[in-house]
Amino acid sequence: MSRTHPPRRAVVTGIGVVAPNGTSTEAFWKATQSGLCVLDRVTREGCEELPLRVAGEVRDFDAGALIDERFIVQTDRFSHFALAAADLALAHARLGRSEWEDDPFSVGVVTAAGSGGGEFGQRELQRLWSQGPRFVGPYQSIAWFYAASTGQISIRHGFKGPCGVVASDEAGGLDAFAHAVRAVRHGSAAVLAGATEAPLAPYSIACQLGYEDLSPRDEPDRAYRPFTSDACGFSPGEGGAMFVVEDEASARRRGAPVRAEIAGHAATFTGARQWERSADGLVHAIRGALAEAGCAPEEVDVVFADALGSPAADAAEARAIGEALGAHGPKVPVTAPKTGTGRAYCAASVLDTAAAVLAMEHGLVPPTPNVFDVCHDLDLVTGSARPAELRTALVLSRGLMGSNSALVVRKAAADPSA
Amino acid sequence: MSDRLTIEELAALMKSGAGITVDPAEMANRPDSRFEDYGLDSLGLLGIVGELENRRGRSLPTDADRCQTPREFLDLVNSSLMTGA
Repeated sequence: MSRTHPPRRAVVTGIGVVAPNGTSTEAFWKATQSGLCVLDRVTREGCEELPLRVAGEVRDFDAGALIDERFIVQTDRFSHFALAAADLALAHARLGRSEWEDDPFSVGVVTAAGSGGGEFGQRELQRLWSQGPRFVGPYQSIAWFYAASTGQISIRHGFKGPCGVVASDEAGGLDAFAHAVRAVRHGSAAVLAGATEAPLAPYSIACQLGYEDLSPRDEPDRAYRPFTSDACGFSPGEGGAMFVVEDEASARRRGAPVRAEIAGHAATFTGARQWERSADGLVHAIRGALAEAGCAPEEVDVVFADALGSPAADAAEARAIGEALGAHGPKVPVTAPKTGTGRAYCAASVLDTAAAVLAMEHGLVPPTPNVFDVCHDLDLVTGSARPAELRTALVLSRGLMGSNSALVVRKAAADPSA
Repeated sequence: MSDRLTIEELAALMKSGAGITVDPAEMANRPDSRFEDYGLDSLGLLGIVGELENRRGRSLPTDADRCQTPREFLDLVNSSLMTGA
């Protein structure tokens, strides 16, 4: 590796979103900036009797219109989301086959996953115990797997660069970006990075019922109210996003739209449901991410909070923001648009990162749906979007199993050659 | 059931088992095209073998899922079904 060249910078050139509040990046942003809440009663077949009542379902996703039929049959819903989101991101980035077919090793794929292919797995396991092992289809061997989406995206497009799957709890969504940035700095031209989840099939929901932080409420507008005295846990969601993370120089050379720079990341681990300790973990993650980005605390223009929604977790996050950002902490606008869509596990922070890039582009901090009376020392944006000049966004994420991550995203600088 | 496997049934199995749409007439005209050229991978063929075994209520030769072309597969399956092996 050469040490004489300036470091390669990783920028976002494409974003593809499949979310409960929109199955395109444009629809997602429109709903997010308007503060629309799409949390609703769980309607998936087989879920009627389960004690989880409220979630963010992706209801207008037409898999048949967006992806090849073979992927519909051979892969789970979480991979359907990933394949569709990857297509949207590639189209946004104008990264067509002609851009990389001479060097397929220059493009990689990294995804994070928490639940894997639960719906597909449930169907095959039902065949196993109702009809016997001869009735389990062979695609079960790959469709349930956390790595399925990375594999299917790379196979579909022929990407042969660095590929990986991050299984590091919900905060893994942000860690996937860190892996992509590292690959770009080490020489990859582009990496498809992100996360999608489909945790709302009956089996997957049953797996979540033991989570103490899952909201038991059945009113969609009251189930997920982080940072309030009403906080009673979170509502889950599904969907996610894929990004094209690209070497800035390559992107500029091919005239691609440079949307934002992924400037810094750090991750820590503080143990499952140790919410008080997560404050320290977040502080260290934030400081590490800011240090990598060369960013002072007062340069942070907006924080996309993890917003777990249970009182101890919210208090820890508020304390972490105050401690890591110092005097700037109580003044910086904080938002948690995921209260309108649910926490899509690993994909939640990836959707937040999409919202952060779009917020910087539009100069608008999206609001936190259903949250009004904030009981922490935070400037939480509620009600409607707040206009602001945004150059640097901080995205925070924690997992129920104890991971904490922070990501710093910067507005793209003007093209130096323009 | 020991009826022969037809091109039409094979095409229908490729569709239901692996999501691959193949025109049976085209497959009949080009029986030596490889399964992989139709987009059918080894897991897909394995699933077709399993489904056929369930439908016919008998085992197929262990190398059935290693056939490379529709002609090879039809010949192997049908000779197995005819001999009652």
